[in-house]
Amino acid sequence: MTEYKMFQGCTIGNRIPFLEASARMVFDKLGIKTSEGPFACCPDPVGFNSVDHTSWLAMGARNLTIAEAEEKDIISLCNGCFQTLKLVNKELSHDEHEREKINKILGEVGKEFKGTINVKHFVEVLHEVGEEKIKESIKNDLSGLKVACHTGCHYNRPSEIVQTDDPLKPVKLREIVAATGATPVDYDEEVLCCGAGVGNTEEEPAMQILANKLSSAMNAGAEAIIVNCPACFQQFDTNQKKAEKQTGNSYGLPVLYVTELLALAFGMKPDDMGIKFHRTRPKDLLEKHNLA
Amino acid sequence: MVSVDFELRKKVMDAHIGDTLKYCYQCNRCTDVCPVSQIAPDRYNPRGNIMASFLGINLFMGQKDNFGIWGCTVCDTCDEICPQKIELTEIFTVLKNMSIAAGEGPDYYTTQASTIYDAGKAIPSQPAIERRREQLGLPKVEEPDVSEVQKILNVTKLNKILNK
Ligand code: SF4
Ligand code: SF4
Repeated sequence: MTEYKMFQGCTIGNRIPFLEASARMVFDKLGIKTSEGPFACCPDPVGFNSVDHTSWLAMGARNLTIAEAEEKDIISLCNGCFQTLKLVNKELSHDEHEREKINKILGEVGKEFKGTINVKHFVEVLHEVGEEKIKESIKNDLSGLKVACHTGCHYNRPSEIVQTDDPLKPVKLREIVAATGATPVDYDEEVLCCGAGVGNTEEEPAMQILANKLSSAMNAGAEAIIVNCPACFQQFDTNQKKAEKQTGNSYGLPVLYVTELLALAFGMKPDDMGIKFHRTRPKDLLEKHNLA
Repeated sequence: MVSVDFELRKKVMDAHIGDTLKYCYQCNRCTDVCPVSQIAPDRYNPRGNIMASFLGINLFMGQKDNFGIWGCTVCDTCDEICPQKIELTEIFTVLKNMSIAAGEGPDYYTTQASTIYDAGKAIPSQPAIERRREQLGLPKVEEPDVSEVQKILNVTKLNKILNK
């Protein structure tokens, strides 16, 4: 079995590590092996790349060389890290001019980008493990639970490069969710961004986008939002109150990482995965579906 | 008076976009799908940004309100939808990099870059979270070699951009 280099990223690793707890529980159960590495920030495809593209390429390439040295692929728990590492890997593998430029920079610290490994999003890996294997581990059938899937933007776009899923109608997250027995609802704003990016610049439009998304999910009957990115998670979970305040709507819609949903379906306990650290409390939802 | 910014034009043309940019026929599909244009149509318009960039007109430098470039939420939907396969967000990255180099742009961006320069991470490790990781049975996050990170970022001159 292949072993991946774990890339949890700054947000999960150093701010909301409970998301990593459920991911590791699920990986263990499904036989996905990982090991640690001394990675720096990916760096952020929205933030750092907007400051200086060359610095972004060089830092991304440095991270890739760490995995290359062990000849292991990277598994990312975050859309942002995934997109950065995938884009940098691709750009430097195919553009000799850029590769030479970046390798000259990396040469200063004795490193060289070779382009010998692959970068994967954890949803891709779970999907490869497959519905059958997931079903074998289910202890709590989640039939009756209706959820809205939100893959977020940097998981499946730009599709020509990341090649994970359909760019405007992603299916893998839905299929993983459906394997637990839960029902992914159809909602109009499924591919709409969570709004986190514009929030770096101005809060008001970010909360408007978030509110549109939440309203659409609720109108479709969703009892929870399922995400696979820590930036989206924080936007939905932490900022939900702000969106309520700005629009006067009330949502109270719990947000679960897809690995939390799987771990709950596998019969693991909410306390063991730190679900109490969620800001939008999923307590009622868990009780209703006998998962508490 | 509108004047052409040749530096902008050169950078835009140089940004790995082959020669697709000139095939923009202003169909407006990018703006139609843009979630920010939908809620703030008077303030953010990717189609307009593409036209101006191609012509070398820098619409937002030196302006008080630069939401016109910094309002992008980087959802990459426009890239996906453009019938001419123009990678709009790559052009917008050029515009933003120029804005930062000129000392403009929202604080969030330079603050984050500065933290990455200092700690190697956008969110440095902190004792409370390390304890929480332990309680959750998680291994320690391995620390990056910060001196290596800084060496790289000095060569790329990020230290100059950030006044380090
Ligand atoms: S979608 Fe493409 S071709 Fe159409 S206006 Fe936008 S950039 Fe130009
Ligand atoms: S990437 Fe930016 S310009 Fe393009 S659709 Fe998204 S928000 Fe609009």
